[in-house]
Amino acid sequence: MAEIKLENLSYFHGKDTPYEIKALDTINLTIPSGMITGLIGHTGSGKSTLVQMLNGILRPHEGRVLLDGQDIWEKQKNIRSVRFRVGLVMQYPEYQLFEETVYKDIAFGPKNMGLGEEEIRVRVEESVRFAGLSPELLQKSPFDLSGGEKRRAAIAGIIAMRPDVLVLDEPAAGLDPRGREAIFSNLVKYHEESGNTVVIVSHSMEDMARYCDNLIVMNEGKIVMQGDRDYVFSRSNQLTEVGLDIPQVTKLMLILKEQGIDVDGGIYTVDQALERILSIYRKSL
Amino acid sequence: MKSIAFGQFYPANSPLHKLDPRIKVILTVLYIVCSFLCKNLLSFALLALSAILLILCGRVPIRIVLRGLRPVLIILAFTALLNIFWTKGEQLLFAWKFIEIYAEGLYAAVFMMVRIATLIIGTGMLLTYTTTPIALTDALEDLLSPLKKLKVPVHEFAMMMTIALRFIPLLSEETEKIMTAQKARGADFSSGGLIQRAKALIPILIPLFVSAFNRAGDLATAMECRCYHGGEGRTRMHVRHVRLVDFIPLLLVLLLGASLIFLNVLGIGFSMK
Repeated sequence: MAEIKLENLSYFHGKDTPYEIKALDTINLTIPSGMITGLIGHTGSGKSTLVQMLNGILRPHEGRVLLDGQDIWEKQKNIRSVRFRVGLVMQYPEYQLFEETVYKDIAFGPKNMGLGEEEIRVRVEESVRFAGLSPELLQKSPFDLSGGEKRRAAIAGIIAMRPDVLVLDEPAAGLDPRGREAIFSNLVKYHEESGNTVVIVSHSMEDMARYCDNLIVMNEGKIVMQGDRDYVFSRSNQLTEVGLDIPQVTKLMLILKEQGIDVDGGIYTVDQALERILSIYRKSL
Repeated sequence: MKSIAFGQFYPANSPLHKLDPRIKVILTVLYIVCSFLCKNLLSFALLALSAILLILCGRVPIRIVLRGLRPVLIILAFTALLNIFWTKGEQLLFAWKFIEIYAEGLYAAVFMMVRIATLIIGTGMLLTYTTTPIALTDALEDLLSPLKKLKVPVHEFAMMMTIALRFIPLLSEETEKIMTAQKARGADFSSGGLIQRAKALIPILIPLFVSAFNRAGDLATAMECRCYHGGEGRTRMHVRHVRLVDFIPLLLVLLLGASLIFLNVLGIGFSMK
């Protein structure tokens, strides 16, 4: 279990130039371990910058990043080991694939960790399963895969490092509904089996509502809200203010409630809503 | 990666920015000729003055102009040293063992530095700082268009240049993204020997080439969808017309050249051979 804590963290884009922008503004945050945490925010709210702080890709200009209470920048030489412990899947990760075969590509991370052949083989097979990729693809060239398969191969490449924390920046961006569903359900399965912390960045409230236990809302480089789904989605006014919205189905439930129908606000997925409405319908028969 | 400032165009509202780019290309050539006309103290002083006037006309902050000189600092220092120590003359200033420094050497060093600096400032102020890369390629296409009679594909070359210029920021952004992604997988670009470092570039170069070819293919399709078929019969959205005032700078540069020659002939002060 690894806990990530951010203390008074600030970061500027284009530091010391006339175009300096404060991308992150004194962020204080604890990412609870062993949960799926969703990081939501409008485009440009600083979420991608924030996740690049978590594994030491970017170095904060002010403040500290603590991994299990240890400042990750204290020993700068050890920053690579932080990157193995906090695995970051970047946006559109399929562009990072480069090896001759999918197997070799997934093995790139473990190889950089200096692991032996046998250990690498075990990890590649395990991560392929977690990412929901069929093992026959391992000997293919990554450039022959479909878009969704490439995405999953890239995610497997990070999972193969067996990170304590898995961070994914918009893992389902640009995929069709079936592809989205496949990515997220595999992530949930990975989370349940490994018990590892997962952080998902997205701006889709529907996906976040469905898969995340804990939500962090960002706006203009600041944390606006943090808490479980019920807490966050019960503040729909505040969400609208920062250009976000509650899931459509939750909105529908609220309207129904106003009409005097006995549904509660804590419904975030179509399945939940269906169940609730059906049970009311059956009662009324 | 972000520090690679390509096409250092500096947006401002100045007479030089407004000047027709074709005139600016011709001016640049003439200005380079001018800087080689200088022979003595007075003419070099006038040349330096003209460079300062150019900076003022272009309204580019002096800090940015000086930053543009930074890459040639080593060359400047090197030419200065060569000239100081290797020029033989009549007026010996300093001698110690085999090192002999002549007054002529010192003059030559200063002159060469002024010449190189004004060359950089002049071309920078006339072209790179005040002209967008796109306007520049358009201008080159216009100026080279007589070559079309000799079946030289001028338009195609200009189009290739425009596209290449457009791709540079895209590719540098992409490189940065890929580097970050590979760093997240523990890639290490900054340690190890030469061969190891070269090998570390493979995980960057391959995805970069793949996406560059994909982009090029997409662009070609998009151009064909809009019926692009080369330069023949193609017209411009913005047609530039040379105005009478655009000739004034040309006259000024010719005047500068003439005065430089005049000052050379006057031969006041030290003069280079």
